[in-house]
Amino acid sequence: MDISELKKQSDLSYNIAVAKRNALEKAHSRQIMAYREHLFRADPQTICLVRTLKESHDSFCVLDTNNNPVEITDPAEFLSVLIKRNQESLNAYHQIYKTFTKKDI
Amino acid sequence: MSKGVLLFCFDTQDTKYHKILERCVELVKKNLKVPITVITNFETFKKMLPMGFVNYKFIEPERGNKLGGKDWNNVDRHLAYELSPYDTTMVLDIDYFCFTDNLTQCFHTDYDFLVPDRAYDLTGKNSFDLRKWSMIPMVWATVLLFKKNDKVKKIFETVKYIKKHYQYFNAMYRIHGKNLRNDYLFAMALQQINGFIGYEKLPFALPTLPRNCKILTMTNTGITWKDHNTIGYVENQDVHVLNKELFDV
Repeated sequence: MDISELKKQSDLSYNIAVAKRNALEKAHSRQIMAYREHLFRADPQTICLVRTLKESHDSFCVLDTNNNPVEITDPAEFLSVLIKRNQESLNAYHQIYKTFTKKDI
Repeated sequence: MSKGVLLFCFDTQDTKYHKILERCVELVKKNLKVPITVITNFETFKKMLPMGFVNYKFIEPERGNKLGGKDWNNVDRHLAYELSPYDTTMVLDIDYFCFTDNLTQCFHTDYDFLVPDRAYDLTGKNSFDLRKWSMIPMVWATVLLFKKNDKVKKIFETVKYIKKHYQYFNAMYRIHGKNLRNDYLFAMALQQINGFIGYEKLPFALPTLPRNCKILTMTNTGITWKDHNTIGYVENQDVHVLNKELFDV
């Protein structure tokens, strides 16, 4: 491989990496959602926490993105909204990701 | 409880901000679907294309601030509290383009005052790591969400006080730039009034294109830019564009 080919491949890899990073950031932004007048992240940690607490409690408290406690009185509804938002953002990321894999070196 | 978006727009000799406003309003209407109030002056208003249902309030902008040697009429943000007709207001910079409805989530909350404290460089160069430019963590007054109540009124009174004595506070916090930036103004006010401990923030980083990015195209869903030899593109993602020559696109 000559130096010009190496630069071309390197530039392509860099551009793909930046685009992937932007798509992931976009997914993270999309995961911010309002519930009971507070903001939450529909990320794996929140989903796992809610699911775990839901197994043994009908209502419980969790922290919002600003560390304020929020009482969750309908865990099933909250979990459902979290999962919906999480999967919506990750499905969009997945669609973009597929276009990168076609360009991979 | 009313809610809406408040936008400030004043043309200068060098920059046709009203052109940027027209694009911003279109996206806010399409994606946020809330009433819009534009704070402007008559001189700028005369040049705007009809934008449908938009409320206008006329003020004469305070002049004297500069950005890159050019006039920058951006120092009226402290008036947002009294100028807003809404119970819950989202103040947006007109160069923040809402290609998504993500910000609507913020309207469904009961926080008094929210502002983001992080920006995300879409070019991948991490050019918004601003810790070295002041002794205070900066906020991005590009997006502000506030409710009308006594607490928030006091925040804006503090903003006004700091603005009045900006030179002093600018030196005290060792801020590198000497021109007035709303970002630092609100950062200082929030730190002062919240007892130097902390305050509530919008939990995301503003996707931002640095000033040296040339905007190539902009549609209703996304934006394409050129950064040195690289062409970048995002779709269905909000973008804050710092290059004020955007109106040429």
